[in-house]
Amino acid sequence: MLSLLKRYRRPLIVGILLLYPLMAFLLSGRRVRDPNPLDRAVIALSSPVQQALTAAIEGSVAAVRGYLDLRGVRQENDALRLENLQLRAAVQSLGEARTENERLRKLLGYAETAEGPEIPARVVGVNPVAKLLSVRISSGEKDGVFRGMSVVTPDGIVGQVIRATGGYADVALVTDPQSRVAVRVQRSRARGTAAGTGAGPLKLENMLRTEDVENGDLIITAGTDGIYPPGMVVGTVTNLEKKEHGMFQGADIVPAVDTSKLEEVLVVGSPYSAMAPGSTGEGASK
Amino acid sequence: MKFLVTVGLALALLTLESVVVKQAGLVLGRIDVTVVLVAFLALRATLLEGAFSAFAVGYLLDLMSGQPTGLFTFLAVFTFLVGRLVSTFVDVRGAMSFALFAMGADVGHGLLAAFFTWLTVKNGSTSSLLSGLPLQVVLTGAAALALFPLLRRFEAGQDRQVGLLR
Repeated sequence: MLSLLKRYRRPLIVGILLLYPLMAFLLSGRRVRDPNPLDRAVIALSSPVQQALTAAIEGSVAAVRGYLDLRGVRQENDALRLENLQLRAAVQSLGEARTENERLRKLLGYAETAEGPEIPARVVGVNPVAKLLSVRISSGEKDGVFRGMSVVTPDGIVGQVIRATGGYADVALVTDPQSRVAVRVQRSRARGTAAGTGAGPLKLENMLRTEDVENGDLIITAGTDGIYPPGMVVGTVTNLEKKEHGMFQGADIVPAVDTSKLEEVLVVGSPYSAMAPGSTGEGASK
Repeated sequence: MKFLVTVGLALALLTLESVVVKQAGLVLGRIDVTVVLVAFLALRATLLEGAFSAFAVGYLLDLMSGQPTGLFTFLAVFTFLVGRLVSTFVDVRGAMSFALFAMGADVGHGLLAAFFTWLTVKNGSTSSLLSGLPLQVVLTGAAALALFPLLRRFEAGQDRQVGLLR
């Protein structure tokens, strides 16, 4: 027996190297395992390099762009000043509306939804595998980022944290083919699901044919998937297909956030998100 | 190439690629730098050294994908073994033939990745993976052309001349 093992030592080792990961993959399916110490060490080693490279390249690009943009800066400044005035007026009126909203909520006995922390982060790199659309951000467990938390920008939702280590976290984008987000049409409150397709627009699924939805409608998160807080912008409806038969109607959703050009994001801990390490947050992506 | 050099190179290339992809805004087109490394290993490394190196390279890719499932570790070792088999039938010496070899390896790697994804993903679309494959293969071929001199230099640096330090 021992001599046999000795004789076939090399093919045996190669067989183990080949079959061990295959078995791990087939047995675990698409379940993501928690990072082990080796994973953490490698991430801790590679992420600062990623961050430094990103900063260096972005710095160079910004310097060139800054020089080119300098010529139009005066006109832009005037336009921004005007826009600032308009926005200040809008903020003031929104403040009034908010105060009124709070007062009415109190009157109706509504409990204020507990807002989670908003943790800012920079995108330091993009996952090099085309199969999964994800990015790495510069905030991790030590900053309060955990798996299952949602990631947003002021324009709309970006994705969901799928793995967090010390100072970094990986975020699966809403455009990933496995991403599913419970959504609502802002105007009519009709509910459906936004599914990632891997590229370009998302697909609007599970929207009943009888529901009121039109091209140009704003799609927001419904908050029922347990991942994304309600009311966050997802995108705009295009290519609406109202079929004569069947249960559902289909449409494309142009995402509000261009996920291929992300720079800064906010990690949001909604009341629905998993806020502890080791907890699973796979509601929106299988 | 020695194991640690391969791992270091894979780590550096993956990190660089991740940053370049972010800057270029490529959504589906990726450069399979790990396949280039595995293809080189298939041509030049011994069975055990190559298998261990391919395993490590695949593990790194799995880790950087954000969702380590073991798929890319398996595919790296498998691609190494198939590449090793194919290399007995073809003569790969120059940069251009190496690029073609790496592109062939990338086609196999990409198709297998799409197949296994299709096996495990119930609702997700895998067609986007295949639609991005031609661009990915071309980019990988270009990367192989660019990396070939570097890989050969690493390899040459480790070949100790006879009589050196005797």
